[in-house]
Amino acid sequence: MAETQIRNFNLNFGPQHPSAHGVLRLVLEMDGEIIERADPHIGLLHRGTEKLIEHKNYLQAVPYFDRLDYVSPQNQEHAFALAVEKLLGLVVPPRGQTLRVLFAEIGRVLNHIFSVCTFAMDTGAMTPMLWLFEEREKLMEFCERASGARMHMNYFRPGGVAFDVPPELLDDIAAWAETFPKLIDDCETLLTENRIFKQRTVDIGVITADECFDWGFTGPNLRAAGVPWDLRKAQPYDGYERFDFDIPIGKHGDCYDRYLVRIHELRQSLRIIDQCFGDMPGGSCKSDDRKITPPRRADMKNSMEALIHHFKLFTEGYHVPAGETYTAVEAPKGEFAVYLISDGTNKPYRCKIRAPGFAHLQAMELLSKGHMLADVVANIGSLDVVFGEIDR
Amino acid sequence: MGVTTNPLAGDAASLTPGAEQEALLNQVTDELQDKGFVLANVDKLVNWARTGSLWPMTFGLACCAVEMIHSYCSRYDLDRFGVVPRPSPRQSDVIIVAGTLTNKMAPAFRKVYDQMAEPRYVISMGSCANAGGYYHYSYAVVRGCDRVVPVDIYVPGCPPTAEALIYGILQLQKKIKRTGMLWR
Amino acid sequence: MDLALQDLGDYIVGHLPDEVEDNEIKLGELILSAKADGVIKVLKFLRDDVNCRFKQLVDICGVDYPDRSPRFEVVYNLLSLAHNNRVRVKIRTDEETPVPTATGVFSAANWWEREAWDLYGIYFSEHPDLRRILTDYGFEGHPLRKDFPLTGYVELRYDDEHKRVVYEPVKLTQEYRDFDFLSPWEGVQRMLPGDEKAGDFDLDGEASETGGGEDDKDDAEDPDKKEDA
Repeated sequence: MAETQIRNFNLNFGPQHPSAHGVLRLVLEMDGEIIERADPHIGLLHRGTEKLIEHKNYLQAVPYFDRLDYVSPQNQEHAFALAVEKLLGLVVPPRGQTLRVLFAEIGRVLNHIFSVCTFAMDTGAMTPMLWLFEEREKLMEFCERASGARMHMNYFRPGGVAFDVPPELLDDIAAWAETFPKLIDDCETLLTENRIFKQRTVDIGVITADECFDWGFTGPNLRAAGVPWDLRKAQPYDGYERFDFDIPIGKHGDCYDRYLVRIHELRQSLRIIDQCFGDMPGGSCKSDDRKITPPRRADMKNSMEALIHHFKLFTEGYHVPAGETYTAVEAPKGEFAVYLISDGTNKPYRCKIRAPGFAHLQAMELLSKGHMLADVVANIGSLDVVFGEIDR
Repeated sequence: MGVTTNPLAGDAASLTPGAEQEALLNQVTDELQDKGFVLANVDKLVNWARTGSLWPMTFGLACCAVEMIHSYCSRYDLDRFGVVPRPSPRQSDVIIVAGTLTNKMAPAFRKVYDQMAEPRYVISMGSCANAGGYYHYSYAVVRGCDRVVPVDIYVPGCPPTAEALIYGILQLQKKIKRTGMLWR
Repeated sequence: MDLALQDLGDYIVGHLPDEVEDNEIKLGELILSAKADGVIKVLKFLRDDVNCRFKQLVDICGVDYPDRSPRFEVVYNLLSLAHNNRVRVKIRTDEETPVPTATGVFSAANWWEREAWDLYGIYFSEHPDLRRILTDYGFEGHPLRKDFPLTGYVELRYDDEHKRVVYEPVKLTQEYRDFDFLSPWEGVQRMLPGDEKAGDFDLDGEASETGGGEDDKDDAEDPDKKEDA
């Protein structure tokens, strides 16, 4: 009997697929149900952010960073603000720093809730989403009270934060932080020992520490492989060295460990949030350099100089001395960095955005090879990719 | 022939829950038990049914998708309007364009829209989908998803809050009641 | 910190005198300028040498300087977890000269290089899969080059006759308003209508006898001075 020729099967996953976390198009070559080759096509959300930033002044560029990783906008702004401050040689007053840390950690909680819930949803568990998204709502309310916007805060400006928070807000966040650990526990009872969830995730998409280095992994995905590396500890910025928190690490580098690391990071973020209230410094929340930060509205009514400063800042913006910097922050997804080149004008000459998800998604083939089709979904979910930042 | 048009679809839909609606529904029930059938304007009945179960296609593209998910989740709970997200264009009545539509995505978007069954509606959510918004001048962005598909409702905002999206969906329901026909 | 970085920079230059042209520290960040054809050797050394151990390639990006002679810069950002250091390696190239690919040293380089090719048109030789990555299928041009217009050349709409999306030249109802904040205080540089009578008035302002011309010239130079400071 003649051997029949068996041909591999090509499957087009996405770009419109509810488990693709956005607009990923994945071309899979499959032998039966086993993945042989995975070729992610990205760029379906390529909006030309870097080019647009080159045409906007520094203040106008800040909101673009919100819209990169729209699940945790605060952390992106943080990187850009730090980069501009480094070029300007600007020092942020302590209150500004602590407020930034507070909202950066809120951003991390926002992100990890989203990522854990959608990951659970992709692997068949709906309830965590319904439970924890209410917490996201509460956090977004806090963001709204601080900045006026639910999601895209535009709150971290070069030189500090945009406005001081209303005094009751801090108490309300503190009250929320009391209640939240209960919900993490509840979420864990649903997932951590859940047989179905474990079958879908344990030993799926294993990546070793060496492979992580080779593929440029950072953040929770790197820590899940057992590398205790966190930029908040290693290269502290904005006073993170004053805070006491631990770096959770995994052992196996599989999807399940990536989930566990995120759950534990939620608790560590809560610890940092708690400490923010303990030593919230007084004083100004942004730099006093009037050439960079706008004056108070009350001053503008009385002082001509303040009015001129305001006008100049919101039309021309400020000129940043020529230079370049690569400034990274520990965003919830990994190392988010801005490589900013200034030529001395009021617009960035080049603003390269280093998105952690870009490197993570790249390893999709490595993670998925030899696994089943359903595991691809688990891998995408556990890598925590968001296409706003990958495609830019 | 002297057919009395029963005002079921036309009026029941516009009546608010209460004594008046109750009376009307009782009347309809009596008539049904008496004669075994009800007469109504078919198109109004169909429109009433359509507005009650608008199944949107989950077409999350960018930031607005997060707000869209929030409106499906516990706090805003779009389920109570009969709005249940569907992952397949064949099952859905309305597509919510939530986010920036790029040149690369546009053919895929149009394909999804073409696969939807009539009658189909489009909600353009957020300033990017409305007209390009913050990315209007980019080389890679479609300046408004109405360049690709006909849009019924525009929801402004960057991103619109979940409430705004719900308001948009309610507006769409009104529009269907007002203009809907059996064959669109 | 800077001293240790300076030592590291000197150490690297000492070991790779042929490949690394220069090292400098700016804003506390170590920057190495390397020769384009030697970049693989540099990256390998940085990865494997016991004093460097930059085991992570965190970023590759292109930068376009249209005024310089090899117009592009390719910038590699590396991170050493062992020593908690960062280093930046820069090489220069132009549209034609290929850069050797770093995919053999770091797997992560694959997509970053595809991105640099896509956005800048920097060619990486022996890259396993040098396709466009971010821009549209069938996109023409390299959008992040400085001479590429912000709004691009084509835009897209659905055509009811052809039943598919079609591409057309860009037509904007309102142009992007790009304000020039650098020039307005520097005086008018071009000839105004009616100025032809002042025959000896040179456009560069040199032959002008009036004192105003001198002032204008000073003003014109002022912003540069500020930038230098």
